Formats: sequence, structure tokens, C-alpha cells
Amino acid sequence: MERVVPKVVFNIFGLPIRDTVVSTWIAMVLIVGAAIIVGRRRPIVLEILVHFLNDTVSDVMGRPARPYLPLLGTLAIFISITNIIGILPVLNAPTRDINTPLALALVVFASVHYFGIRSQGLVGYLKDLASPIFLLPLEIVSQISRTLSLAVRLFGNIISGELIVAVIFSLAPLFVPLPLTGFSILTGILQAYIFTALAAVYTGAALKARETKSSESSESG
Amino acid sequence: MTEMDPGLLITLITIIISGLGIVVGTAIPALAEGRAVVKALEAIARQPDAASDLRTTLLIAMALLESTAIYVLLIMLVLIFANPLLDRFF
Repeated sequence: MERVVPKVVFNIFGLPIRDTVVSTWIAMVLIVGAAIIVGRRRPIVLEILVHFLNDTVSDVMGRPARPYLPLLGTLAIFISITNIIGILPVLNAPTRDINTPLALALVVFASVHYFGIRSQGLVGYLKDLASPIFLLPLEIVSQISRTLSLAVRLFGNIISGELIVAVIFSLAPLFVPLPLTGFSILTGILQAYIFTALAAVYTGAALKARETKSSESSESG
Repeated sequence: MTEMDPGLLITLITIIISGLGIVVGTAIPALAEGRAVVKALEAIARQPDAASDLRTTLLIAMALLESTAIYVLLIMLVLIFANPLLDRFF
């Protein structure tokens, strides 16, 4: 049966490096290289991409997304490129390993709290979390389960796509798995969009009370 | 039932439970997603101007519904490939 756990490729200073980590490095080089090359020759393409991400995230968050766009846009681009890279023959999708989606979900978790504290102050943010006090245990549990479900959703979609392609490839090789591979490209981009949209919703929920109050006060002031 | 080798018994139960679990665990989210799509399509037909808002909400809701099926799949993968009772760790 196909290996579900990624295998270790080599060691750096005694740290085992998996093949998914190597794929992540290749994806990073691809993204930065493409951005530099496209930015030199046709910068309008990058502008279109940034505007598209900005509009999508603002739509989901319900407020101008400019301050949060670096994180959310990076999530969208990185996750879609790393999901697609699994199609290529030698490379493994980095999100196929549970560690990459878990790391991204932890980044979202930490950044949601950071944005909330930065906009509401520590005491205000904690008060906002505990606003109906009897819901506080539910709030804590939902924070943990939201983060875990972000990671598991991304990991489960990508690895199930790969497993199905591997099983069908072992049964009927050559061209038969191709439609499923095409479908996993679609799933990869869709899951990247879902991850970014959910991260935007969580960020928007952490910021909620303060932004509308300040815009109201600036309108009346 | 004759006394089987415990590893064989655990494997048998794992296989049966995995099969049943996948069937039930993918049927219920699929039904729920179908109902969500029906309501969304009715709403789009009633107000075509709000189509893109509805599409965004529909996509996010379907991803959240799908994730429960993914939880079931995850447990099945753990049971089949990394069953703690059988000491299988691929």
C-alpha cells in the first residue's frame, strides 16, 4: 500500500529532512521566482492578482482588508501552489504531510489573537472573548476546534486526493488517473480559497466591535 | 465463535467498522450539503443580483460541512494504516 507517512530524504546537522520539506523549499523558490520575473516584465499581472485577493478577502471580512492582506494573501497563494505541486511526478505536495497544514493553522490561530489584541487592547479583547461569561468554556473549545478543523480539512482533502490517484494508478495506469488528477487541482485551489476565507472570517470576528465603533465616531466627530 | 488469534479478530473488526463508518460518514454530510445547495439555488433564483454573495456563503458552508466527512476519513486512515492495537505504523 502507498506510504502515508512521508519519508526522510537527508539530514542537515542531524535534523531529518522529509521530502515534503524539500517540496516546500521548491515551492518557495517557484513563488518568489515567478513573482520577480513576472514583476519585471508584466507588473500588471501582479496587480490584478493582488486586487483580486483584496476584493475577495474584503468581501468575506466585510471591511477593507488592506492591513491583513499580507498574511491572508500569502496563505492563499502558498496553499494553492503547494497543493498543485503534487501533480508533478517527483514532487510531493507539502500539505500531504499533517505538519504543514497544522503549522499554517497555528499561524492563523496566533495571528487572529494578535490582530484582536492589537486592535482592541489586551483587556478589551479578553472581555470580548468572555462577553457572555457562561459561554466562555464553549468559546475556548471552539477556538481549539476551529484551528484543528482548519488543519484537518486541508490535510484530509489533499491526502485523500493523492490516495485515490495512487490506488487507481496501481489498478489501471497510463491515462486513466488523469481526470482525478485534474480534479485534485481544482480541489487544491478550492481548499486554498476556503482556508483563506475562513482565516479572514476568524480575523474579522476577532476585530469586530472596535472597527465599527471607530468609524461611527469618526463620522459623528 | 471459535477463539481466533487476537490480531485477526482486531483486523476483522477494523475492516467491518471502517466500511460501515465510511458509508455512514459520507452519506450524512452529502445529504446535508445537498440540502444546503437546494436552498442556495432557490435563493439565487429568487434574487439573481445577490448571486455572488450567495455563492461565497455557499462555498464556505459546503467546506465546513465537508470537513465532518474528512474527520471520518481521517479516523479510517488511522485505523487502517496506523492501527495502535496492531502496532502497524507505515
